[in-house]
Amino acid sequence: MNLSTLLTQYGDLYLRALLNTWRLTAISFAGAFAIGVIVTVLRVCPVKPLRVFGDFFVQVFRNIPGAAMLIILVYALPRLRVLLSYEMCVIVASVLIPSAFCSEHLMSGMNTIRPGEIEAARALGLTFFQLIVKIIIPQALRSTVLPMTSLAVGTMLTTALGSQAPLRPHQLELTGVVNYINSRAVGGILAFAVSAALYVATALVIGWVGGRIDRKVRILR
Amino acid sequence: MSAPSIRERLYESPGPKTRRRIAAFTGVALILLGLLLFLIVRQFALQGQLQPRYWDFFLKGSTWRYLGAGLLSTLKAALTAAVIAIALGFLMMRGKLRRFRPVRWLCAALVEFTRGVPTLLLIYFFFLVIPRMGITIGAFWRITLPCAISASGIIAEAFRAGVNAVPVGQTEAGLSLGLSNLRVFYQIVFPQAIRFVIPSLISELVIVLKDTTFAYVVSYADLMQNAKVLITSHDSLVSVYLVVAVIYILINYGLNKLSDRMARGTKKPAEAGQAKRRPA
Repeated sequence: MNLSTLLTQYGDLYLRALLNTWRLTAISFAGAFAIGVIVTVLRVCPVKPLRVFGDFFVQVFRNIPGAAMLIILVYALPRLRVLLSYEMCVIVASVLIPSAFCSEHLMSGMNTIRPGEIEAARALGLTFFQLIVKIIIPQALRSTVLPMTSLAVGTMLTTALGSQAPLRPHQLELTGVVNYINSRAVGGILAFAVSAALYVATALVIGWVGGRIDRKVRILR
Repeated sequence: MSAPSIRERLYESPGPKTRRRIAAFTGVALILLGLLLFLIVRQFALQGQLQPRYWDFFLKGSTWRYLGAGLLSTLKAALTAAVIAIALGFLMMRGKLRRFRPVRWLCAALVEFTRGVPTLLLIYFFFLVIPRMGITIGAFWRITLPCAISASGIIAEAFRAGVNAVPVGQTEAGLSLGLSNLRVFYQIVFPQAIRFVIPSLISELVIVLKDTTFAYVVSYADLMQNAKVLITSHDSLVSVYLVVAVIYILINYGLNKLSDRMARGTKKPAEAGQAKRRPA
């Protein structure tokens, strides 16, 4: 099968798969980011049980393999009467795992903040939450754009878990679509090359955008 | 200890009023977390997942021997993949630091490719395409090779960062002593670079280990696959998958801790030497 027949026959499917991968990546990254920020606030707050919980959360989701996570979501949760759609399972896995890494990046971003800034904020009478929201988080974010960029690429790679859940054809993402084509026709190397090229192109675009944002907001110390 | 961590810097010793407030919040947090734990356990109990028949086979030695055999295959695949990935990553790093442009571009493209493509796609490639090309490889290699390739690009970048962290004066001194480029690299730069790189190589092992859980795709009998067999023989999905997930988490946690400790040991010289960028 050559490229033109592959694309005329399965072009729509690839396009939809590309859009699905983008959509899953965007949703998951946004969710991972939000949860990562919240968990990081828990991990540095003065209330010890919340700090312990935040650390526990990060260690669990940082260290669990994606396959194990997805299998638990897809097969174990229904037996506990927690029913999620298959696509939701993929999203939950690709939110929770990157969120742990997001929190780790933010923690190391916080460590680059000069102690004087925190002392100054406290001397001004800022409360803990004002300190976190106005001083700590903005600076931590500005100094972690590049790790967050690779986290976005990592999130995209995690969404390939979608190929492991029994999704319907129109829900397939870039890895699942290759599997699907190979099960119906001999797609061969080409079917893989198309998906791989789309993945790499997306990763390069994310990297380029991240680099631009980084140059704009990075704090020069 | 060393410099205070961010946690210690964020708040100083609280006064009596703050201390009361923190105590109150601690109480509320404990109650909420306890409630969360209770709800989870209750859900397990309500669905009958706490029945002894789902858990008592974990008291038998044979269960653990079986899981242990799976774990051993997992570790074997992960270590093999890591060794191959380190070799590939090293070659790619050498290629990226070459003067000869086509080699540099090729290696840069390989790094971008391996970093941008999910491991699963590579696994499917080794599972579906390689056999059709008339190359027969066993299940072990069908899982190790894609995991290795997938990790090699990140390892190449880690090596490159390590080499760049060695002050450029070291290279200049070696060259002015009349050593050849190769000897400067292997006798002076690389031995220093490897110290910076070891922590990231260990955390790479975590990524490889996680990727090997896809071994069920190629039906290689790793920990996950053995867990599946246990599930069918004991008809207990939830408990087995939870235990297996905990095993993976504990191993990776240990590896990450090891990597952190080694990073702390090597940090001082890295900060002392000015990290001037080597000309590419």
